[in-house]
Amino acid sequence: MRFFLFVLLGIFFLASCAKKEIKVLTFAVGGAPNEIDVWEKFVDEFEHNSGIKVNILRQPTDTDQRRQGLVIPLKARKSDPDIFLMDVAWIAQFAASGWLKPLDDYVKEDGIDARIFFSNVVNLADKYKGNLIALPVYVDGGLLYYRKDLLKKYGYTKSPSTWQELVDYCLRVQGDVRKYNPDFYGFVWQGAQYEGLVCNFLEFTGSNNGGIIFEDGKILLNLSENVEAARFMCDLIHKYKISPANTFTEMREEEVRIFFQQGNALFERNWPYAWALHQSDDSGVKDKVGIAPLPHFRSGKSIATLGGWHIGISRYSDAKKESWEFVKFVISYETQKNLTLKLGWNPARKEIYQDKEVIKKIPHFVDLRTIFENTYPRPNLPYYTQISEVLQRSLNAILAGKLSAGVALKKAEEEIQNVTQRYREE
Amino acid sequence: MKEERKKIILILLISIFMLSFCLLPVIYMVIISLSKNPDFLSAEKTLRFTLKNYFDVLSVRSLHFTDYLKNSIAVSTISAALSVFIAALAAYSITRLNLPGKVILLFFVLVVSMFPQISLVGWLFKLMAELGWINTYPALILPYIGWILPLSLWILVSYFSQLPKELDKQALIDGCSRWQILFKVLFPVALPGLFSTFLLAFIFAFNEFMFALMLTADHKARTIPVGIALFQGLHGEIPWGNIMSAATIATLPVIILTIVFQKRIVQGLTRGAVKG
Amino acid sequence: MLPKGTEKSKELIEAYSFISPLLLFILLFIFVPVVGTIVTSWFKATTFLSEKFIFFENYRLLFKDVNFWQSAQFTFLFILVSVPIELFLGILFALVLNCTIPLRGLLRVCVLIPWAIPAAISARIWELIYNYNYGLLNFLFMKLGIIPKPINWLGTSLGAFFSLIIADVWKTTSFVAIILLAGLQVIPEELYAQAQVDRADFLQRFYRVTLPLLKPAIIVVLLFRTIDALRVFDLIYVITSGGPGGTTTSLSLYAYKYFVGGDFGYGSALSVILFLIAFFMSIVYVKLAGFSKEIA
Repeated sequence: MRFFLFVLLGIFFLASCAKKEIKVLTFAVGGAPNEIDVWEKFVDEFEHNSGIKVNILRQPTDTDQRRQGLVIPLKARKSDPDIFLMDVAWIAQFAASGWLKPLDDYVKEDGIDARIFFSNVVNLADKYKGNLIALPVYVDGGLLYYRKDLLKKYGYTKSPSTWQELVDYCLRVQGDVRKYNPDFYGFVWQGAQYEGLVCNFLEFTGSNNGGIIFEDGKILLNLSENVEAARFMCDLIHKYKISPANTFTEMREEEVRIFFQQGNALFERNWPYAWALHQSDDSGVKDKVGIAPLPHFRSGKSIATLGGWHIGISRYSDAKKESWEFVKFVISYETQKNLTLKLGWNPARKEIYQDKEVIKKIPHFVDLRTIFENTYPRPNLPYYTQISEVLQRSLNAILAGKLSAGVALKKAEEEIQNVTQRYREE
Repeated sequence: MKEERKKIILILLISIFMLSFCLLPVIYMVIISLSKNPDFLSAEKTLRFTLKNYFDVLSVRSLHFTDYLKNSIAVSTISAALSVFIAALAAYSITRLNLPGKVILLFFVLVVSMFPQISLVGWLFKLMAELGWINTYPALILPYIGWILPLSLWILVSYFSQLPKELDKQALIDGCSRWQILFKVLFPVALPGLFSTFLLAFIFAFNEFMFALMLTADHKARTIPVGIALFQGLHGEIPWGNIMSAATIATLPVIILTIVFQKRIVQGLTRGAVKG
Repeated sequence: MLPKGTEKSKELIEAYSFISPLLLFILLFIFVPVVGTIVTSWFKATTFLSEKFIFFENYRLLFKDVNFWQSAQFTFLFILVSVPIELFLGILFALVLNCTIPLRGLLRVCVLIPWAIPAAISARIWELIYNYNYGLLNFLFMKLGIIPKPINWLGTSLGAFFSLIIADVWKTTSFVAIILLAGLQVIPEELYAQAQVDRADFLQRFYRVTLPLLKPAIIVVLLFRTIDALRVFDLIYVITSGGPGGTTTSLSLYAYKYFVGGDFGYGSALSVILFLIAFFMSIVYVKLAGFSKEIA
């Protein structure tokens, strides 16, 4: 296939650019313009201290577009970008493709103790076949936001600990509040056909002792625990009617956050980022919000799906040592703390959750720490994307009332079996 | 006379439908760009007017919107102009000269343009990376020309084939060379076609997303569609006001172009010109 | 006078020289990647597995893939419904824009605006229009008393389908109208005058004079609209992202997911199939219309 390229080059007869004399690192990062601003300041600081130049490659935040922006250069074995942030769900694919430079030697050489990070995050997400291939920068986990004022008004002293309690709370409060606010709903969460739906699903199933189970090289999905959880998700919309009708069409993180922030919901499942926005001045729920771990089914325990961003070095980088210097800078205490203070990012270093300055500014960080200690990642498989596609489609069909939970999960399990078959290593 | 009146009423009705159909979403866009909150239609909220979005988009440096606008205009103008010119040469050859296999050729050009962009962009990336052109104008302009050519060619072929053949036959007999015929006889007559093709080609390049996403790295070459996609936050926070005001500003070049060309499109083909 | 043979070969050389820049660009920037895609589709080209030549294995898997068939079906229906509506409205708009009416220039500009807004953004506008809680559509319909409470437009397969169709028609009718308008302007006034003398009425005039002469432009429009509708991506990616339950997944969206997931082989095979469909559809158009005769 490379043949065509050579033909092309021959036709062009163009001298390609002179080789770079000084190595300039390229760091691929996505985010809103204000987030990029902060990164640019970090980079300036790093350049000043280390003498290594870094260019920022701005990426869109849409996960597919962002991933595409990395997959294509890496597949073409380009030396740029040298360093990039990866969604936790991509790491296995990147690692299995051999795109990530193992970091074990660097870590050992510099005496970095991996125990400074959340151990579940590093062990479950950043290791591939025994090698350390990435380090966490930003940790995310699902949590329950609730309306403190409304719970108090209706005489509830604590947030619901089981899903059944959540339903009971919602039915009572919703019925009453609707008298003056007809748009009010009990519970909003992410049900649109996208990755977030899978994250929500894993929290429902995980809190029912279910989930995606691996057994003798097979992936099991059609378990009674999972069917029960999926049916419950569907019931939230169609039977109890405590989640709005557009849950399965439009409800992504932002839509959920805005709905809750308008004061139209009692509970919300979202990532920690929503907190700061709920507390902003034009928010309808300012100072009325509390956070808690997500509820669980009677026999299970609360679980949060792990999200977030990890940093890795490209195997094709022509400046790996310099890149490592940058990685070290990003995961340093100071940078992580600054990310927290300036952008509200949830750092991967545990100590920051005890930092006095941080806690003074963001008091709920104390609660977040326990939630992050109980996060579980999505299946750590190179072909997770394909599995997620199947899951998104099937789960969304359940929520739309197109298929019953049992039928849809059985079909999904068969499809996932085919996917596994196809991408199994020979 | 009765039929005349019926016709006028019909035209009026269609015009009203046409205008509301085309403009309603655009007006909605402009209103959002002027409001503080995009959810102003929900029961609890009201529209709060602000011009801040426009100021932000035009003045906040980290948004780089003016850079994107500049890049977009430059890239689209050059690629549209070149592709119309190249396509006009080819269309002339196909419609007027005795080119063997012209139908197959037309078809070939059409056929290769049928692949989804995502399957091609990896290859273009490799090519541009080998040349070291990533994040430069040529990295966008060259593929855009290739990408727009099929459309330009087909429009111009269908257009040229409608022009009376006597025009250039006469000129040929008068001893003009092919180039002279093309520039002095055919192009002036075909101006409306050339302009509307240019307009469509310009818009095609102006709106392209996938190539621009992969072949550019920052505000030195990024174009508006990609630039606007970068406004989003990490969890999909969408600054609706900024995006919509950026989109409103971004449509201005096309509107200006249309207004400028609009007269040409009408004037281009007076009967006098046809008779040469 | 030069001998006939030299005259001919001179014309041939000229004909080739006029067309060579076009061929150069098409070959370099479209054809080479296209060949690359075709070749990749014969490989097990998954980034995380070793590359292997498997010839038509990807295609065999594809024909067994129910989701492929579902997205193919959706894509077909999408073309079948959207393109005729766009053509009908486009002809209507072009005819009106071609009349001598006041403010014609302004009208033309307005009609072009939807096409001028980048698809990535117009998709966002429609996402807001269809929004359940604060969208324009529910707001208008409730104010007008057509519906008592908000409707979840994207909630059913049918609703999502037509929501996408309307958004697509809105965006691309401008494109159709502007091409047809250019085509209308080559039709000499005399022909209409002649028809007037023959006492042909409005519709007869349209069928007898306008339509036959507009045919080349209509073919172009049909071809390019069909190809574009076949590749529909941004709109769906933003508005439904394939939902509900995967029922609005277009072929190119389906292929996109494989490319992003690292399976370039399967993604390329999907692209080739998409191409083949487009190829056969355009043959049908061109045959139906006898286009080759028109330009000869």
